[in-house]
Amino acid sequence: MDNKEYLTLFIEESQEHLQAVNTHLLELEKNNGSKDIISEIFRSAHTLKGMAATMGFEDLAHLTHHMENVLDQIRNDQLTVTPAVLDVVFESVDDLEYMINDISSGGSGKKDVQGAASKLEALLAGDKAAETASASNVSPEKHSVIPEYDQYEWAVIQESEEQGYHALCLNVTLDEQTMLKAARVFMVFGVVEKAGEVINCQPAMADLEAEAFENEFTVTLITKEEPENLQAQIAGISEVTDVHVHVVKKETVQTKHEEQSITEEKNQELSPPSNKAEMPQRQTEAVKTVRVNTDRLDKLMNLFEELVIDRGRLEQLSAELKHSELTDTVEHMSRISGDLQTIILTMRMMPVENVFNRFPRMVRSLSKELGKKIELDIVGADTELDRTIIDEIGDPLVHLLRNSLDHGIETPEVRKQAGKPETGTVTLRAYHSGNHVMIEMEDDGAGINKEKVIDIALSKGIIAAEDVEKKTDQDIYGLLFASGFSTAAEVTDISGRGVGLDVVRNTFESLGGIVSVDSEPGKGSIFSIQLPLTLSILDVMLVEAGEEKYAVPISSIVETAIITKDNIFHSHGQRVIDFRGRIIPLLSLHQVFAIPGSQEERSQHSIVVINKGGKIAALMVDHLVGKQDIVLKSLGPFLPDIASISGATILGDGNVALIVDVNTLIA
Amino acid sequence: MSSVLVVDDAAFMRMMIKDILVKNQFNVVGEAANGQEAVDMYEELKPDLVTMDITMPEKDGITALKEIKSKHGDANIIMCSAMGQQSMVIDAIQAGAKDFIVKPFQADRVMEAIQKVVGVK
Amino acid sequence: MEPEQLEHTEEAVLTKVIVFQLNEEEFAIDVRRIQSIEKVKSITRIPGSAAAIVGVMNLRGIITPVIEVRTLFQIQGREMDEHTRILVLVREEYEAGLIVDGANDVMDIDLNRMEAPPESSGHRKNEYVDGVIMVDGRLITVLDLDKLITPLIK
Repeated sequence: MDNKEYLTLFIEESQEHLQAVNTHLLELEKNNGSKDIISEIFRSAHTLKGMAATMGFEDLAHLTHHMENVLDQIRNDQLTVTPAVLDVVFESVDDLEYMINDISSGGSGKKDVQGAASKLEALLAGDKAAETASASNVSPEKHSVIPEYDQYEWAVIQESEEQGYHALCLNVTLDEQTMLKAARVFMVFGVVEKAGEVINCQPAMADLEAEAFENEFTVTLITKEEPENLQAQIAGISEVTDVHVHVVKKETVQTKHEEQSITEEKNQELSPPSNKAEMPQRQTEAVKTVRVNTDRLDKLMNLFEELVIDRGRLEQLSAELKHSELTDTVEHMSRISGDLQTIILTMRMMPVENVFNRFPRMVRSLSKELGKKIELDIVGADTELDRTIIDEIGDPLVHLLRNSLDHGIETPEVRKQAGKPETGTVTLRAYHSGNHVMIEMEDDGAGINKEKVIDIALSKGIIAAEDVEKKTDQDIYGLLFASGFSTAAEVTDISGRGVGLDVVRNTFESLGGIVSVDSEPGKGSIFSIQLPLTLSILDVMLVEAGEEKYAVPISSIVETAIITKDNIFHSHGQRVIDFRGRIIPLLSLHQVFAIPGSQEERSQHSIVVINKGGKIAALMVDHLVGKQDIVLKSLGPFLPDIASISGATILGDGNVALIVDVNTLIA
Repeated sequence: MSSVLVVDDAAFMRMMIKDILVKNQFNVVGEAANGQEAVDMYEELKPDLVTMDITMPEKDGITALKEIKSKHGDANIIMCSAMGQQSMVIDAIQAGAKDFIVKPFQADRVMEAIQKVVGVK
Repeated sequence: MEPEQLEHTEEAVLTKVIVFQLNEEEFAIDVRRIQSIEKVKSITRIPGSAAAIVGVMNLRGIITPVIEVRTLFQIQGREMDEHTRILVLVREEYEAGLIVDGANDVMDIDLNRMEAPPESSGHRKNEYVDGVIMVDGRLITVLDLDKLITPLIK
């Protein structure tokens, strides 16, 4: 009912169209002038224009209108696609992007588009330019108290009138401080549904249930009840501060019909041009999906997490009680909830394409800026990841990509001299690997200059001179991600801006990811990022030390073992053990977390062998409790950055256990 | 003067509600600390109104509500809920609760709900 | 129907507070800030946290930090017993529990009669205190919760 709802949809859809324009323009550049592609671009531009005009974003509408004219001429072979033409179009797409981003961050979407518009106009052949003037006359619609009904609803209203019912429209206002709004809505509907049949409510029922509305909502029902009666009943509900009831009458129907024909026109503006038959039919594909608000997915996830906790509790109880029917039922329930978990997690998955699709455009403009020839090759864009992760990885990937373009790929001249093709290639690859998703960014550029990295690291005091010898090549390359490594000298417009690769690493690590880099001089470099499939449910090993229980993520455990006292050696004051022929450090959970009470002296100890990027260490605990699925919970604002703890979880017995951050335990 | 049965497992919550009610000339005839007590005391006292907490040991408020309602369809019961108990509140209303109030209680809210329920009767 | 027959005749600004004990002293917090009063359940220690945060507990599925007010006030500690309670505070941005020796009173106090807190007697911090008030021969210190809690959020 209010504009906000439209706005969200507007932003979402215009971004989709903008992305489509970008992708198609790039395609157009590659295989010159396929009609289908131009039609697609035209369609997107046209839709954008219609939406912008409806929402009253005049500059946006104005510019898309000019763009549409150019595209129309291309489509009708009046204008040939040249790089110059494409540059102008890309430039206006940049402006469109700017305006839409401005709108999405709450701005007015205003921008001086005269420059871009006149450049577009200059492209136009003949006197078509003269027509270019009037896209922005449509004024934003005003909402009235009576919601807009669709044709079906009007039909129902009219029909019921003929049968002696009437349609009542209720505007209900709740007290601003109402705490459980959905429950109040429920009470209002309780009254309303007793009185008649609801044919329309705004915001939609789902939004009302999700409390996605301010304090007002509108319900329309078909009833025989007197308006005054209904009003009194609803006003009698607590926290309802205001109720207006109007009868939706024939006259309103009449005027509404006029209004409706306007909206119909608008709808036509919004839909693809129907007079041309060249559009391929693609509707059939879309029918099987529904848009679900991500908040609701999050809610579902939260509820499911509660269920996982209770499941743990039930499993524990049934193990204690040893009642066979109970055990069977609990096992069955565990299996079902396991399936449910898979479904819910899958529902939250999105293809990485959502992040990757902005890169081709970026590579195009950056390589122009840098005077380099670069091809971006994307593999596995359909690989799926949890939404939360998708939301976070965009920026760090942009940073890495800029880094590759700027520092990795050489200029065409240099490449020629080295006997390489002039055009450099960056391959962005995503694929599943066990419980992880790997994202790799590989370039065929100059590779990382090891000596230079060592020099910088030494001068910045990141490593000590005597350690250099001990480091493997990979360790050295990894220094690129050390904090404080990036230097002012190498800050360029493209990759620098004062933010180092350490920020990139931190972002990935905060998502439970691992970043590594390898390189071969003259051949290129490869950055690999290992990401978890999902964030909130973890498979852990529960361990006990003293009175306390900790959870160690299975993903970082190599194995568990029992060692005897004779297996423990000392080296430089550090306890070590011989693990399958490898000498690895032995840490004690008691010491790491200063657990009260001393560790028992005994002849045997349980250890958990943990792994971080190929380095391993053993963690000594009192007992291994067992494997378990747990739900990761935050410790909240009072306890950020607790050393070596990445979060907490609620166990089956209701107690809280902390989750060990293995990354910080291995130096 | 309307009679009220106050049900809550926390004595302090009962005290708060009682306090509000007494100041507004209601007669608090009984206090129950769990659902079972509430059901029993309802039988005994037949109060005009019950304020019923949702989360309670032994028998929760919704079960108690349903039991009372099954015998006394005309019982006036107002649920006391905490934030985040939306779905339970909805259950309760479906089961016949007349209204609900949300903790932390504000006297005017409590009175609004109570007066509406008693007035509607 | 109008609830006018209040017992007090003078103009009083009545605020409902929860009274709780720490050692021998009585303190009060505005009732609207308290979500619930809980018995002590199992508390999980957080290694390396600030001294005043004794750990976290599971409060209906939410991991809630538990704060030892005594540490903030720098007063002597005491073992928990069956009277020990945790006052659960709720704000939009956090939930937190405060350990107190006992909490069983709700009373109306007249904020107009509140006096400035006495000069700090040295070891005690005064900045969390709104004022003190005498009620029926009991001296009650009224606390400013925001000043108490906010510094603990990093």
